[in-house]
Amino acid sequence: MVKSKTFNRKKIVIVFAAVAMILIMLVGRLFYLMIVKSEYYQEKADELHEREREIKAARGKIIDATGEIVATNKTVCTISVIHSQIKEPEKVISILCKELELSEEKVRKRVEKFSSIERIKTNVDKEIGDKIRSYGLSGVKVDEDFKRYYPYGSLASKVLGFTGSDNQGIIGLEVKYENYLKGQNGYILTMTDARGVEIKDAAEGRVEPISGNDLYISLDSNIQKFAEQSAAKVMEAKSADSVCIIIMNPQNGEIMAMVNLPEFDLNDPFTLNFETTETLDEKTKQNLLNQMWRNRCINDTYEPGSTFKIITASAGLEEGVVTLEDTFHCPGFKIVEDRRIRCHKIAGHGSETFLQGVMNSCNPVFIEVGLRLGVDNIFKYFKQLGLLEKTGVDLPGEAGTIMHKKENVGQVELATMAFGQSFQITPIQLATTVSSIINGGTRVTPHFGVAVRTYDGQLIENFSYPTKANIISSETTETIRFILEKVISEGTGKKAYIPGFRVGGKTATSQTLPRSAKKYISSFIGFAPAENPQVLALAIIYNPQGIYYGGTIAAPAVKEIFENILPYLGIEQVYEASEIEEYNIGDITMPELVGLTKKEADKVLKEYELNVEYLNEGETVTDQFPLAGETISKTSNIILYLE
Amino acid sequence: MSPRENEKSHRRKKEHYFDYSLLFIIIFLVCFGLVMLYSTSSYNGQVKFGDSTFYLKKQLMATLLGIVAMLIIARIDYHFWERFTLVAFLLAHILSAAVLFVGSDFNGSKRWLKIGPISFQPSEFAKLAVILFLALVISKVSKKIKQFRTMMMVMALCGPIVALVGVNNLSTAIIILGIAVILIFVASPKYMQFIIIGLGGSVFMGIFIYLEKYRAERLKIWLHPENFDKGYQTLQALYAIGSGGILGKGLGESMQKLGFVPEAQNDMIFSIICEELGLFGAVSLILLFILMIWRFMIIANNAPDLYGALIVVGIMGHIAIQVILNIAVVTNSIPNTGITLPFISYGGTSALFLLSEMGLALSVSRQVKLEK
Repeated sequence: MVKSKTFNRKKIVIVFAAVAMILIMLVGRLFYLMIVKSEYYQEKADELHEREREIKAARGKIIDATGEIVATNKTVCTISVIHSQIKEPEKVISILCKELELSEEKVRKRVEKFSSIERIKTNVDKEIGDKIRSYGLSGVKVDEDFKRYYPYGSLASKVLGFTGSDNQGIIGLEVKYENYLKGQNGYILTMTDARGVEIKDAAEGRVEPISGNDLYISLDSNIQKFAEQSAAKVMEAKSADSVCIIIMNPQNGEIMAMVNLPEFDLNDPFTLNFETTETLDEKTKQNLLNQMWRNRCINDTYEPGSTFKIITASAGLEEGVVTLEDTFHCPGFKIVEDRRIRCHKIAGHGSETFLQGVMNSCNPVFIEVGLRLGVDNIFKYFKQLGLLEKTGVDLPGEAGTIMHKKENVGQVELATMAFGQSFQITPIQLATTVSSIINGGTRVTPHFGVAVRTYDGQLIENFSYPTKANIISSETTETIRFILEKVISEGTGKKAYIPGFRVGGKTATSQTLPRSAKKYISSFIGFAPAENPQVLALAIIYNPQGIYYGGTIAAPAVKEIFENILPYLGIEQVYEASEIEEYNIGDITMPELVGLTKKEADKVLKEYELNVEYLNEGETVTDQFPLAGETISKTSNIILYLE
Repeated sequence: MSPRENEKSHRRKKEHYFDYSLLFIIIFLVCFGLVMLYSTSSYNGQVKFGDSTFYLKKQLMATLLGIVAMLIIARIDYHFWERFTLVAFLLAHILSAAVLFVGSDFNGSKRWLKIGPISFQPSEFAKLAVILFLALVISKVSKKIKQFRTMMMVMALCGPIVALVGVNNLSTAIIILGIAVILIFVASPKYMQFIIIGLGGSVFMGIFIYLEKYRAERLKIWLHPENFDKGYQTLQALYAIGSGGILGKGLGESMQKLGFVPEAQNDMIFSIICEELGLFGAVSLILLFILMIWRFMIIANNAPDLYGALIVVGIMGHIAIQVILNIAVVTNSIPNTGITLPFISYGGTSALFLLSEMGLALSVSRQVKLEK
């Protein structure tokens, strides 16, 4: 047996000492890491562990002039499953299939997937979410979230706009008033493990979300509905590409309705509003969507045509180069330099006063007025009236006026400009400029936004918009109103005449470029009451088939709208004696007809001028509509049921 | 006391010392290890196997087996193993060779032999076999060990096993080499030779690192772990250590063990100890290891013969090298290499053989003659 020697012991001590020394050095290293660098590493580690979980703020509502909510939020649910917490997978699968109407295969795949959290379905209605929650299934998570919701669907879709996945405005008022509407998201500071799974009870901080503010707009959903109905009717009847209608208050620029048919469903803005035969690639689809979202009233320009004669007339009257009584002669054309510019009436209007010229919408008359004004004056008035600048409407993407450069305008250009051709403006520009001319000469800013209030109604801001007074004299305003009322009562705008209301307006028919395509734009601008305009409407029908004259198709559309909205706006009918006679206006009391024979009834009705419709066959009247004793208009339709 | 002393006085010659301090340290470390293992592995167990006690249960089995082995070995005279030493040493070669061909993969290295439900890491056995073998050989040639030739021959004996283990497990090969060097150092009366060997080794290592790009890259990762993907583990360990502070976040409160430090229950467990128990806990653990090594020194210095002393020195070297390398790696004091922390890190084979080694050390301590 070999004994250990002294040197062995000494060496063992050396080994121990060395080991102990190294370990003490490592302790030193630990001191450095855990005291000196502690804060640095702690911070880095926290960055790694902390997650901010956002709490979405409710976006502000959009409320129309009548107090109706036209854009709001809906609570929707997201259903997810947490694999490790599921106890009864079969039950979970069957319930989720049933409630969410998903295929079993799809649900099973997600439920059985070995992952931390698997999303089953988003945008689930709150009632369904609540129902699923009520089953109390472990491992099934129901998270609530806000989704933008538009109660009226497609109503004023291109005006209101919609929001994207982050609840941010994408088009329309939603994007223009983003800063007021969006609110401020809150967040919960949580800790997660390396997979991003939240650790229970580790929430460290919470900042509550601040709801967005409500936007009050001048758009009136009732007027918008009337206008959309009329627009839809004419669009269908004329197989038009699209129809735009702007209805605004000419006194202050508040827009009451803005129709851009075809509209699209705001609750489903990423689906095209027409059928496509082929499957579209991403880019084409996006282009089509962008087209669908376009607000033609604001984003697109067109040649206004004869409606622009209002502006030429105003400039001519204001400048004093023409009076109502000035006489002109129209042979059906006018030669300017070497060009022969035709009137729409090939035979010519013959001799006529300026007033008659406007009523006839005679091109040679306006060419003459334009030439009398001269290039400098025309541009002076364009500038003064605000035609060359954007209107400043509170919608994104307003297009500017496309106008000749002043130095390039010769006599021919001047002549065509005088009756609204060879340049382009937006519909909103035309409506605004005409408003400014007829309201007494104050250039207004067209707008929707009226006020912003907090979600509980406290006023934050009343919007005010710039105006420019005296762009035209009040005499000219009055003359123009007079002329335009004449256009309706006796001129080309007769189809917009409404007994009892004093309507002024102007029709237009313009041809789109290229002229060879034979595509037309038919339009009408009207306002009422003529002596004190409270409402102005511009209707534009793009590419109508068949008859395309503005006076024939656009004017009746505006008439229909006015008939509906003027009483709604509290503008009363005042009949003149000639009107009562001509249009047989008046009320009668419905006589009792039930029980009479058909012959007897006919005899009674002969005293009146009612339009009678008989239902069923027979000789005796068994029922009548309206009932006896009701007050009805003299020209009403009545229905009699026979047996 | 006195009646009992009188009663047993006739057996005084047979009465032996037993190092209860070491036993206490072992038990404490093992229990502490299990607690920390549960703390670090419960998340991984839950995520991977749906059972937070998955790792704990496996480790507990190995530990219980190990404690039984330790208590049995402690009661056997360590000279009993002399006759099996050569067989064990050869068996270590065979097993280490076998693992190269039929070993099972884990994280890209073949280190395990699967026999039925039990998987076994031959390199752990190899360390024990080398300690026993070298202790025996060196004690036999102790008179000639100062000769350079003898020394080299002894080293050469370790060559094959170091090579076999080193193929898949460089860290363990280094540990085996380290144990061999310490044993020879202790047995030899000389100093100069070792200084020369040390210098030679350093130069050799330098060239080795320089020549192999893979190792040079490791060096870069070591210096700037934040710039490399492969520095992720090291960086996460540093975050854990740094965020522990002085008193730590409290037992079980580690964030980094939640998947940030990969396989936190393995090599990097010390970083989680730092995070949960702070500088205080980490230093206490290091002190506990120093205390243990100190007990080994006492036992070795009082061993009845050189063979016993060398066994304990081998065990001491084993524990010391692993503790030092592990903590150095975890604190990014040296480049990353996979070395487990004795008694704490997860590993059944390791626990079994470490406890067997403890049994040997205790067995040697029983032979210490009390001098009064």
